[in-house]
Amino acid sequence: MQRRAFLGLSAAAASLAAAGAFGGWTLFGPSGQPLLLSARDDGDGNHYAVGYRLDGQRAFATPVNERCHDVVPHPALPMALFVGRRPSTESYLIDTRDGRLLQTLSSPAGRHFNGHAVFHKGGEWLYTTENDTTEPGRGVIGVYRLQGEQLLRDGEHSSHGVGPHQLLWMPDGETLVVANGGIRTEAESRVEMNLDAMQASLVLIRRDGSLVSQEYLADQQNSIRHLAVARDGTVVSGQQYMGDLHDQVPLLAIKRPGQPFQPFPLGETQRVAMNQYTASVAIHDELRLLALTAPRGNRFFIWDLDSAQVRLDVPLPDCAGVGAVAEGFVVTSGQGRCRLYDCRGEHIVTNALQLPAGLWDNHLRLA
Amino acid sequence: MLHKTLIASLLGLALVGCGQQDPQAKVSAALTDGVLLPAYSSWQEADRQLAANAEAFCAGSTDLSAARQAFLGAQSAWASLQPLLVGPLAEGNRAWQIQFWPDKKNLVQRQVEALLKNKPQLSADDLSNASVVVQGLTAYEYILFDPNLDLAQPEQKARYCPLLQAIGKHQQALAAQIVGEWQAKSGMAEQLKTFPNERYADANEAIAELLRVQVSALDGLKKKLGAPMGRQSKGIAQPYQAEAWRSAGSLANQGAALASAELLWHGSNRDGIQSLLGDDQADLAKRIDAAYQDTRQRLAALDSPLGELLEDNAGRTALNELYDSLNRLHRLQESELAKALDVQIGFNAHDGD
Repeated sequence: MQRRAFLGLSAAAASLAAAGAFGGWTLFGPSGQPLLLSARDDGDGNHYAVGYRLDGQRAFATPVNERCHDVVPHPALPMALFVGRRPSTESYLIDTRDGRLLQTLSSPAGRHFNGHAVFHKGGEWLYTTENDTTEPGRGVIGVYRLQGEQLLRDGEHSSHGVGPHQLLWMPDGETLVVANGGIRTEAESRVEMNLDAMQASLVLIRRDGSLVSQEYLADQQNSIRHLAVARDGTVVSGQQYMGDLHDQVPLLAIKRPGQPFQPFPLGETQRVAMNQYTASVAIHDELRLLALTAPRGNRFFIWDLDSAQVRLDVPLPDCAGVGAVAEGFVVTSGQGRCRLYDCRGEHIVTNALQLPAGLWDNHLRLA
Repeated sequence: MLHKTLIASLLGLALVGCGQQDPQAKVSAALTDGVLLPAYSSWQEADRQLAANAEAFCAGSTDLSAARQAFLGAQSAWASLQPLLVGPLAEGNRAWQIQFWPDKKNLVQRQVEALLKNKPQLSADDLSNASVVVQGLTAYEYILFDPNLDLAQPEQKARYCPLLQAIGKHQQALAAQIVGEWQAKSGMAEQLKTFPNERYADANEAIAELLRVQVSALDGLKKKLGAPMGRQSKGIAQPYQAEAWRSAGSLANQGAALASAELLWHGSNRDGIQSLLGDDQADLAKRIDAAYQDTRQRLAALDSPLGELLEDNAGRTALNELYDSLNRLHRLQESELAKALDVQIGFNAHDGD
């Protein structure tokens, strides 16, 4: 067991070195293709944790009890946590070589997962967003320690807000950025209880749970949900607006290094096309691009991260996860085929991937 | 015997040879020419008549009843498009410019009155810059049908006519633009017929999209019925939450949308989505046929407007039965048909996080 883990670590470390940095895009597996990790359903509504090479080769499809949301690859070992979608109390630690279920991780009593987590760069600690159902909505950052192939609950911090959703590392790998969605829900429920009293916030916290900063958007019902962090520390957030369909609210926001959190300068055509709902956000560090899926508007977007100029605005029904690869972005869909958008040239080129079509859930990770 | 087999295989080969298109591409193309393009063209024609009628009515050459007829034509043509909302009209919330529903706060009345107060001599440009709430058929309906207005009064007619004319022009221009985007080179019609293209990687994606909008329109019909029936408000009827309550057009709209959904299923020449089911799925096809027939007949049997049906027990019972029938039809297509066709109609849009 120890030997296997060691080998896994060194192999992964070698490819990490080759890629320059993890959290970026290129981690090529044995077949030379990145491994796409995602939650997926079958036509009967059963849930799976899946891994596919981008050429269509299936690495694994492991049945799991509950629907998952985000996936967190371990920074060095061939394992990933498929995080339960709220209000799930289960997450699944999976061996990404063969799909073996290493552990069904249960949240402690009075807590449920909110769909997102991150491994610390050292590989020993995992942080999750959770809901305290004894004080419904109180946001919690769950802290888990990896021992062998098991994650053990070690403690928790406050998320300094209600309904924390996605969390990511800032480039130092020690500071967490957390999207407190602001929506209070109760145990075993997804029903919003506080739409008139929502307060979403973007917070930076240290690993000991202490608060570095907390910032808000102007519109009270604008839930900050998903995040992407660039290598230079730029944070982008995608919002879901709980108010009227016709209200004009910023659905993307940005916090550039040293600047306040503020709306991303979004064209009105793009904003309206999103139907008040954004899903996954991704940043391509080398190409300085920002990508977003908007499944209610059935639309996929790419912007220049620095100039905010629109690079791509295309229909993509039920688009779901998006992640950066060397060429550009990979996007999955609940309805159609997955796409690879090659963004290296002046014109973005679309390729349909030879992956199974449809039924892909909200997020993807490339490992 | 050998001879027969040989002929059969040659025939098979010949069929494969001339059938360049896969079955999905054939159905998508047939529906485009036989169902979608005709429906969009009818809508464009109805909006042309609406605009012409607004001019005639305001010039005094036709009466209020003719104006209402032209409106009902446009409203029905729009309702027919509900199960066919793929492409340009489904994007950028352009549909909001046509109809504003649900209107929980009676924004239509408030915004029409506010607009005319600010701009008594309203121009088409003023309307283009105004809120979508006042640009479409719902505002037009308010003017022609609201119980508090009476366009037989000359001063009222003079007050509202600039808005009627502007909405007519706006709808006509919007329809022309959308139909133009359908018919353009590499436009929507072509994207449903030639694969791959910038929208669809293959014909399966086009079929999935057609099935998705059809299923979501059936779901929409349930919502449009369920809201006034009080299904989201503890069973207390909400007649003013009905679509087209002013013109008492709610059930006519349901009928128009249902007919389009059924046309998508059958195709104009037995070449619709149904034709993708194999012989082993004949039972499912029969059940869907029967479900359409059941919903259609229940709807046709309702002989009073929705608002009146909500007022008594017998009416409410009939509406509940219609709702249940629609629900069966919706579920059959959403789950069993999608599965039989091996088509995914997506879930992130309405079940995301």
